[in-house]
Amino acid sequence: MAEQKKVRFVIERQDGPNDKPYTQEFDVDYRPGLNVVAALMEIQKNPVTVDGKTVAPVVWECNCLEKVCGACMMVINGKARQACCSLVDKLDQPIHLAPARTFPVIRDLLIDRSVMFESLKRIHGWVAVDGSWDSKDAPGQNPYTAQTAYEISHCMTCGCCLEACPNVGPQSDFIGPAPTVQAYLFNLHPLGKYDAPIRLNALMEKGGITSCGNSQNCVEVCPKNIKLTTYLAQLNRDVNKQALRNIFDH
Amino acid sequence: MFHTTFYLRRLHSLVGLLALGLVLFEHIFTNSMAIGGPKALNGALAMMELIPHPIFVAIEVTCIGVPLLFHAIYGIYIALQAKNNPSHYGYVRNWQFALQRWTAWYLVVFLLWHVFYLRIFVKGITGTPISYELLQTYFTSHPVFTVLYILGMFAAIFHFTNGITTFCMTWGIAKGPRVQSVINVLSMCLCAVLCLVTLVFMGSYFI
Repeated sequence: MAEQKKVRFVIERQDGPNDKPYTQEFDVDYRPGLNVVAALMEIQKNPVTVDGKTVAPVVWECNCLEKVCGACMMVINGKARQACCSLVDKLDQPIHLAPARTFPVIRDLLIDRSVMFESLKRIHGWVAVDGSWDSKDAPGQNPYTAQTAYEISHCMTCGCCLEACPNVGPQSDFIGPAPTVQAYLFNLHPLGKYDAPIRLNALMEKGGITSCGNSQNCVEVCPKNIKLTTYLAQLNRDVNKQALRNIFDH
Repeated sequence: MFHTTFYLRRLHSLVGLLALGLVLFEHIFTNSMAIGGPKALNGALAMMELIPHPIFVAIEVTCIGVPLLFHAIYGIYIALQAKNNPSHYGYVRNWQFALQRWTAWYLVVFLLWHVFYLRIFVKGITGTPISYELLQTYFTSHPVFTVLYILGMFAAIFHFTNGITTFCMTWGIAKGPRVQSVINVLSMCLCAVLCLVTLVFMGSYFI
């Protein structure tokens, strides 16, 4: 029988939020169609490094395993992406895994992305409704913008765009492309549009849309192919108009 | 609520494109007269001297000094908020983003040297008028300075032309990816042309 092919993983690990990072290497048995999450599961079953040392299993986060939930976002070979849809066959080996350090690291590849939820609250990322009862005559979606709204609604707050954006990180207060563009989704909504001035004014604050530096990495790395730069430009237009309204309406 | 950040950022963008863009074009225009020889450049410099001195200084301070200082100081604050990462994300726009900041750092140092030496020291303190002969002696006797000046011009030209592209994005003028890339290509063509013009007029001092 032919010798079992191995895949080498170089993983950047960290024991706790304030601990120093270190790397460990693992070999995983190759099988066709192997992806990074499946490989991490193999490492979890048998957490032995290439030096034969048994170590604590690598911690990471995953959920849906079909690029819908966003939980398994990590830095794979230098780029932010979902681990579940990163096929080993399509990656250069050895495969380097690291946590997305734009966010606080909890342990190993597990990060705390609650900052994005805070940003969504900040941009008023919801539609205010009167109550929880059925509204029979609620307005329908505008058919001309429904496709765009559907596209932006795919955002799963995975954080790829924040990790790739040079203007997001501990050195900056930019809320990042994903939460910014969500403001446009809710501004398109037939009821949500009534709160558009609140969202646009929020985006004009420190760390809002003006912190965008047009590197356009976000649109390159978005796993859901959301045209982030197009909607950022649209929002730039909208905040300019809002600024004029702020100046000349009072 | 008064959105200070918003207005500062937009002002930074406007000042860079309009005020400093004009300063850059004036420099390229006047300096390219050197291609026509001493007479042409000295003639162009004499034309500027026709503006009465107090008005000239007032224009220099309000239209160059203040915008430049604001753009530089607020720009340093902006540049410090970026963690350039083109080595990981090697897309064209990301390289341009990083170059926009690297050229900015070079320009801060270069312009301090350029303004303090040529404008404040040579022209202001020693009272020597800037002329073709002065520049020719300066550049031909200091090849390193010539290279630093050419790099300074390249940096300013790239920073300005890339700034046209980002201006169109920041102001929501160019929204879709097609128009954005068309503007980017046109800006970079302008960048190449202006760099070429710079090489020609700088080279003309040596022949």
